[in-house]
Amino acid sequence: MWNSIPPLLKGTVVTLELTFLLLVVGLAVGIPLALGQVYGGRGLVLLSSIYEQIFRSIPALVLLFLFFFGSSFIGLNISAFLSAVLALGFRSSAYQSQIFRGAIQSIPQGQMTAARSLGMGKFQAIRHIILPQALRLSLPPWSNEYSSVVKDTSLAYAVGVIELVREGRYIIVRTFEPMIIYITIAVIYFILTYAGNKSLGYLEEKLKVPGFETKGRKE
Amino acid sequence: MAKRKMGLVFAVVVLMVLVLGSGVISPAAEKKVYIVASDISWLPFEWKNEAGNYVGFELDVMREIAKLEGYRIEIKDVTWSSIIPGVEAGKYDIGASGVTITGKREEVVDFSEPYWKSDQAVLIRKDSGLNIITALSEGRTVGAQKGTTGADWIQINLIEKGVKVELKLYETYSLAVLDLVNENIDAVLQDEPASRASVAKEKAIEIAGIIVTGEEFGFLVKDGDPYGLLSKINEGMKKLHASGQWDKLVAKYFGE
Repeated sequence: MWNSIPPLLKGTVVTLELTFLLLVVGLAVGIPLALGQVYGGRGLVLLSSIYEQIFRSIPALVLLFLFFFGSSFIGLNISAFLSAVLALGFRSSAYQSQIFRGAIQSIPQGQMTAARSLGMGKFQAIRHIILPQALRLSLPPWSNEYSSVVKDTSLAYAVGVIELVREGRYIIVRTFEPMIIYITIAVIYFILTYAGNKSLGYLEEKLKVPGFETKGRKE
Repeated sequence: MAKRKMGLVFAVVVLMVLVLGSGVISPAAEKKVYIVASDISWLPFEWKNEAGNYVGFELDVMREIAKLEGYRIEIKDVTWSSIIPGVEAGKYDIGASGVTITGKREEVVDFSEPYWKSDQAVLIRKDSGLNIITALSEGRTVGAQKGTTGADWIQINLIEKGVKVELKLYETYSLAVLDLVNENIDAVLQDEPASRASVAKEKAIEIAGIIVTGEEFGFLVKDGDPYGLLSKINEGMKKLHASGQWDKLVAKYFGE
């Protein structure tokens, strides 16, 4: 039992790396996407909506296979790990864009008008007035996205990324002790999800502007 | 305006770092290391040992041949069902995973000389009171690994002939065995060597009998063998047989 811990921890590191990169890709694409959907011209709105719809409607596993095997057909030989980061990251960006879009749209329009009338440009207003509030509002739903991304990483095994679940399977194949290994894996996922959500809750508390929080947490 | 560009630049930079940082985009033409794909969950042919190394009969054969023929390999663990598609797509160069040579598979990949003969074993629970006939008769649920010749055998020789058994497919062979132990299915059909290995580990199951299918395993490469690997693999196997190394590996992994 105890000697199964080191390989499982090794797998956990890969799971964490994947989670981190997926969230980074999701953020880096998701925020511009949300801004495009809210403030863009007709073309930009259409483009970002198509992107968002495509990546939200294809099952994660199918996306993984499309990126991994599909990349070969266009002459790119990308690794399993990178295909997982891109496929699941773009997918997360589509979901994240909706979180940010909702948050941006919940800021009263009058604020934009007020900022513009003070002489701010559109992008200055977004940067200094809208985003600081919208991002704070996004934190609670974003922690939801974090929770599902952590677990989505287990799909990456399908294209050959050796993450937590696969490391567990190696041990089961050798020892024929499935229950103890799967319970250990479940505990590790629980810790990852719980710790992440706790940290995000802490961040939310730290960043809150009195009077503008989503809803006071009951202490 | 500058702010919008910042966001775009940031996104582009992140992607660039990901792509370049992992150093994975390489033109398919220059090959220094050949990638061997295997579903590493099939004792004694391939598994991961406690020290964290990929071991097993086929992997050792692959390593020995590479040494003899002077090329380098990297062994990759992939799902069974993506071995042939991956070799076809050029993701992997060699498939080494107890793949039975069949006409259908030969249409899409090229096989080496056969290196192993195998039949299908029928696994049952010791306490089930079944035998090889009753385990495969009407109303039973039989498990097999997805895309294997065992699964094909059930489909062709039972289901298509009107025997109403239920075929349950699993991503890995060990999951099928687990479901058998857990009494969710009545029997598992799988190649004989792997079945023997699992019977040695799992006390609740036994081999009810062998279905002689006379299958032969081969290593496989992309259709047309673009890197001329098959002649090297076949040559390497000959050398291993001649030097007695082959028999040593068989004894090491199959005992007896």
